[in-house]
Amino acid sequence: MKTYFELQFKMFNRNIIAFGLPLLIAYTLIPSVFIIISNYLFSKTEFASYLYIFVALGFISKSSEPKRNDFLKSIYNKMDYFKLRAVENLIYSLPFLIFLAYKGLYLYIIALSILAISMTVFNFNTNLNITIPTPFGKKPFEFTVGFRKTFFIFPMAYFLTYISIEVGNFNLGVFSMVMIGITCMSYYSKIENEYFVWSYNVSSKEFLSEKVKTGLLNFSLLSLPSLMALGIFFFNEIGILLIVLFTCYLYLVTIIFAKYASFPKEMNISQGILIAGSLLFPPILLFIAPFFYSQSIKRLNSLLE
Amino acid sequence: MIKITNLSKFYGKNQVLNAIDLEFEKGKVYGIVGENGAGKTTLFRCISGLETYKGDIQSDFKKLKDHLGLLLTEPFFFSKITGKEYIQLLANARSIEITDMEKGNIFDLPLEQYASTYSTGMKKKLALTAILLQENKVFILDEPFNGVDIQSNLIISRIISKLKDLDKTVIISSHIFSTLAETCDEIFLMKDGEIIRKVKQADFNKLETEMKAFTIGNRIDMLDLK
Repeated sequence: MKTYFELQFKMFNRNIIAFGLPLLIAYTLIPSVFIIISNYLFSKTEFASYLYIFVALGFISKSSEPKRNDFLKSIYNKMDYFKLRAVENLIYSLPFLIFLAYKGLYLYIIALSILAISMTVFNFNTNLNITIPTPFGKKPFEFTVGFRKTFFIFPMAYFLTYISIEVGNFNLGVFSMVMIGITCMSYYSKIENEYFVWSYNVSSKEFLSEKVKTGLLNFSLLSLPSLMALGIFFFNEIGILLIVLFTCYLYLVTIIFAKYASFPKEMNISQGILIAGSLLFPPILLFIAPFFYSQSIKRLNSLLE
Repeated sequence: MIKITNLSKFYGKNQVLNAIDLEFEKGKVYGIVGENGAGKTTLFRCISGLETYKGDIQSDFKKLKDHLGLLLTEPFFFSKITGKEYIQLLANARSIEITDMEKGNIFDLPLEQYASTYSTGMKKKLALTAILLQENKVFILDEPFNGVDIQSNLIISRIISKLKDLDKTVIISSHIFSTLAETCDEIFLMKDGEIIRKVKQADFNKLETEMKAFTIGNRIDMLDLK
């Protein structure tokens, strides 16, 4: 068992290093962020302790994956397996237990400890495999995958649009539009395997143009209900609405270009800084986007030309 | 025809392919055999254009990759893409319109399910189905029989024969020599990044005997099993 935990610790450290963080900084940063978020949660809601236990259990549930536990069962005897899982679950819940102790919530400590140990008996898949219908199945993959992962955001955004009209708050309506925009942009954050770019029998320019067309069309479709409702009920603000829409388009295009500007690697820090910097003055995107475009063409040429 | 001349590949200082000369003709099936790490997959990646290389690869096509169906040893799948959408994605990439996908579903795959939930064999069959529906002229199949059930193995062998009849070029790597012997016109033996032998159909049996003797040797005795 000692070897197992030593290995887990090594793997954890390796993941931190692979993420690009020096260990010393990570071990200072992670607890600090955890304490700040915990404090914030407890200062904001009286149900924080329940929520806290719920979050902790969600975290622990990751150790209940059947495949992983079948492997552990195959190498340890029954007694050792349960001991190992119990210790592991308690280690996962340790930060939460310490914070609950700091808050003097001793009953919750007992409850969380019992639940964490009880979960050693259960094995369940945390990923549901139900096929969620998508309107974007004909043009995979960014919007197909993205929509399935974030489908619940759209009813929320449309509901916010409705509330904004009900209470006459145009800014809330704009926020709902931006929410849809950011969600769609997030679909381009993950880089695809190079095989899926290589498969295309088009030039780099055509490839990018197709990606941009699909992105803009699908974003337009998803934002149309909010856009139309806001346009009708806040007709005087239609100019601002169109500026928001155009800015979302511009960010979407920039992010598509940025994605392929470092392909097949993930978007790098300098690209992130450039995009984040543009939030202060969005028109700068008109210069950043062409720069990313020319870099993307160079990167894609090695696979497509 | 595909003509490879003096092909070499380095990863840093490590040379993985060394001065390879090969020719692949239309309407023929070629097998590449070799131990793990011999350089088979790297050779395939170079032919496909997924790797840079030294040397020359020429073909009858302006861009070989646009006519090439590549089946990877471990095909990659997105987490929330169904089998149907995976096929659609690869068809879109080649501007191919698939009117009846169920008709092309020769392995009876559950196309409405997420492909990432498929077993190893099912994933391979899905990836193969997708490249077959792309109407390619050249096929590179890296370990097509691995993890696939016996019935599907038979179907894949038959598909390869059919591709040959249709005048396509097929290049396969496999560890299952009997399947290669059944389907190939010529087999190339790779070792340490080099082609050490080129064997025509008439000498396949001889090659298999030699390979067994060479590969197994006295290795099992060295284990000192008790």
